[in-house]
Amino acid sequence: MVKQVELPQGTLEMLILKAVSLGPLHGYGILLRIQQISNQRLEILQGSFYTAIYRLEHRGWIKGEWGESENNRRARFYALTRTGTRQLKAETAKWTDMAAVVAGILDKRADEL
Amino acid sequence: MSLLDTLRNLWRSIAPRSHDDVEEELRSHQQAYAADLMRHGLSAEEAERKARIDLGQPATQNETYRAAVGLRIFDELGGDIRYGLRALRRNPGFAAVAVLSLALGIGATTAMFSLIYAVLLHPFPYAGADRIMNPVVIDEQHPDEPSWFLLNVAQFDDLRLASPVDSALGFNADHMEITGGALPEAIFGVYLTENAGTFFGMRPLLGRNIQPSDAENGGHSVVVLNYRFWQRHFGGDPHVIGRTLEINHAPYAIVGVMPRSFAFNDTNGVGDVYLPGSLMRSPANGPYLAYIPWIKLQPHVTLAGANAALEPIVRQFAKEHPERFPDHWHLALQPIIVPYQQQIGRTLRLLLAGVALLLIIGCVNCSILLLARGRTRQHELAIRSAIGASRWRIVRQLLVEAVVISCTGAVLGVAASYWLAKLPLLLSPDSFPAESVIRINLPILAFSVALALLCGILFGLVPAVHLSRHDPARMLPGRQIGVVAAPAKHRWSVLIAAQVALTLLLMATAGTAIRSFLQLTQMPLGYDPANVLKLGIMLHVEDPGEWSRIQSREARTAYIEQIRQKIASVPGVSTVAVGTDATPPYIDAASSFNIDGTRDREQPQARLILVDQRYFAALRIPLLQGRIWNADENTRGDFISVVNRAFATRYLSLPNALGRQLRIPGLAHHTRFGAVSGQSTDWRQIIGVVGDARNDGVDRPVVPAIYLPYTAVMQPYAQFFVRTQGDPLTYLHSIRVAIASVASDQQISDGAFNGTFTLNEAIERDAQYSRQRLFSILFGVFSAMALVLALVGIFSVVAYSVAQRTTEFGVRLALGAPRSHILWVAARIALVSSAAGIVIGLALDSFLGAILAHWMQSAFAAWSLLFPAALLAVSALLACALPARSATAVPPAEALRYE
Repeated sequence: MVKQVELPQGTLEMLILKAVSLGPLHGYGILLRIQQISNQRLEILQGSFYTAIYRLEHRGWIKGEWGESENNRRARFYALTRTGTRQLKAETAKWTDMAAVVAGILDKRADEL
Repeated sequence: MSLLDTLRNLWRSIAPRSHDDVEEELRSHQQAYAADLMRHGLSAEEAERKARIDLGQPATQNETYRAAVGLRIFDELGGDIRYGLRALRRNPGFAAVAVLSLALGIGATTAMFSLIYAVLLHPFPYAGADRIMNPVVIDEQHPDEPSWFLLNVAQFDDLRLASPVDSALGFNADHMEITGGALPEAIFGVYLTENAGTFFGMRPLLGRNIQPSDAENGGHSVVVLNYRFWQRHFGGDPHVIGRTLEINHAPYAIVGVMPRSFAFNDTNGVGDVYLPGSLMRSPANGPYLAYIPWIKLQPHVTLAGANAALEPIVRQFAKEHPERFPDHWHLALQPIIVPYQQQIGRTLRLLLAGVALLLIIGCVNCSILLLARGRTRQHELAIRSAIGASRWRIVRQLLVEAVVISCTGAVLGVAASYWLAKLPLLLSPDSFPAESVIRINLPILAFSVALALLCGILFGLVPAVHLSRHDPARMLPGRQIGVVAAPAKHRWSVLIAAQVALTLLLMATAGTAIRSFLQLTQMPLGYDPANVLKLGIMLHVEDPGEWSRIQSREARTAYIEQIRQKIASVPGVSTVAVGTDATPPYIDAASSFNIDGTRDREQPQARLILVDQRYFAALRIPLLQGRIWNADENTRGDFISVVNRAFATRYLSLPNALGRQLRIPGLAHHTRFGAVSGQSTDWRQIIGVVGDARNDGVDRPVVPAIYLPYTAVMQPYAQFFVRTQGDPLTYLHSIRVAIASVASDQQISDGAFNGTFTLNEAIERDAQYSRQRLFSILFGVFSAMALVLALVGIFSVVAYSVAQRTTEFGVRLALGAPRSHILWVAARIALVSSAAGIVIGLALDSFLGAILAHWMQSAFAAWSLLFPAALLAVSALLACALPARSATAVPPAEALRYE
């Protein structure tokens, strides 16, 4: 069994943006893709998942449109908007910066100070 | 976030995804998930079940959606509102009382605000109305009586071209008649300088206004109609433009109709028709030319600066015509609203204070009702809080319910205010600018909506905070034994005391208003207005044929006398007198005069009243000394005069008044149709002294007056004062017939005080009289409403607490408590707090009495509080006793079964 990771607040939205940036996906597809990329190490609560989707769409970062799914079912596909692309870039940069700073602090050993 | 994003978000909030859309998406997700699970080996049934468990009901997904995009709050508020409405419907008695108490307050406040808006904040529809000034001359000896002054064309141009002046309007008015129809009709015409269109800057309703080209060739014969005249005379015919109106036997082309809000000019008569000023100078109309100026200042010119710049110019005019100016004077530019502000501003503020009090009483009443009802709702609220409602949620719900009540009240109130606002205009029509039109507009609607929300929060907050505080654990274990006295009653008592105190304040104000109005009606007038009809005739001065017939003084006197005799022959008419501008209680015409033996330098002033010898008998003005002139002296008109007592005491020593001489130089230059004998300005002997009859308004002291035979200055019009037996109005028709028998084309009018035909009606139109009547009626109504509200408040508190404590009373009765004791226990708190309220109210009244008296311009007597206080005490006692009695009527056995 793979060890599960709990998501810090707000990161789910970033992951959804990332998942959608690779190509339009429906809700379930986004879920699968995030799990796939994370090697099944993330389990996402389905309830909070849609809250995040709705919020992103409301902000205009992703845009939903009805279409046909791979097995010919009607599904709502989400694609990244231009604002969304910009937002993803900014969030990624912010995340990387923060992770580097935190990691830098945590890596410090006593003799290095 | 850019502006575009904000707009887009707003749009998405306004048009969110539909319920079905959200639901379908989740369902398709569920199906995909279930299919996946089946691929991993679950049975179809199990897979669907797991998908449903993990994802939840598609039907409820919409709630998640709306919470995510921030629409949840609206759903909850919508729910609260629906719940509030349902709660109101379930309890219609409570709802009706609460909504009505607010509707009264909000309606009255909105009405008063719209009145103030129309009258004080935005009364005139003219462009730049706040820069339009009325230049007046202030006599330094009588600074409270500003007077207008007339200018000739050259002077008017001097004033118009002065540096602080943006533009100036000159106007003058005259009585005219419409001819060419079956019956002549008397109208009032106003001449305007031809810049009137741009000066007023108002779009005519139809056609055009007077324009500069109308001045060409000595003035074009064009006429612009007043809205009311257009309605009255032409029935509001939209095709009136281009038609001809015959005025004084000359044709005028109708070029425009002004809108309803244009009623120039209120201070010296609203015109029925407006004519180019150049016509005033046309040769046919004689050499008469004089303008009253209105000036519009340049923007950013201060009043003081403009005063200083214009004063030298007017000083120059005074040098040219010293007789038109008093000895010591200065110029003052008055904004055109000033006369109304002085008269009515105070009145309106006082009324606004009154309605605000009423509103507060209404709010307090709602608070009391909500608190009282809240006690029966504690159980429900406890359940809500037990199943997870936060305190904020409960407070919010109670507030929303309060706002629902107040908004319902506001809707009713605003509808009612439309009529309420007209009430003061009906009761005191001459106190308001004719231009002010009461209508519900945006500022007023905004005001009342804000008011409704404020009220809802105001009266909802106390009960909400109080009711939300209870600990559900204590409330829920069903029904506590009702023997415990209910807690938190002091809140009611404070509210009841406040309500009673405020009500007493209103009642005391109403008492004062009514008392001073009664005093006013009982004030001796010095004449007897009962059963006296007054009417006026206008001679046909503009008809050349007729004019030549009546131009001489003698012919006119004969004509008037002929009509007088015809009226006197109508059965039931006892005395008929003639006068010109002699209608009490306010006789305007003032003139300066000299008395023999005094220095000429001093120019004392007196009212000049032109009447015939029968006037004193018709109005029952007593003769104190000497005699009244006889018929021959009346026809001659010269050498004699009669003065009133005020004149004799101020200017002569009373016992020796008879035989003194006075002369009135001003009689020489009278209006263009006036006919004066050669000796009218000669010395006149004072042959009699009559009693003081009101001539400066109902409430003001009588000013010195000189009575002269009306033939001394024959005006082109005359008034008849007809004393009749019984209601004078019933004689109007037969008097018309009598006049028509002398001259069939002689129109008659009401003489003076528009729209009134009797002396009693003329009194009712007096400014102070109508203001006092307005006060007493409105404050009477306000205080009656307040009293009803206060009683409802007291009644419902006692009734609710009795209903709550049925068990307690049953037990007490079973244990042998006497009924009187139960009665006392049930009513105690309401009684004590009402008594406290009365005491506080009395203290408040004596504290505010001086301020009130100043504002109402009438004395505020402490003893006048006693009656309202007693009335309030008795009715409060009744309001307590009635519901409390039902407490003693509870059969103990039944009360105990309640549990």
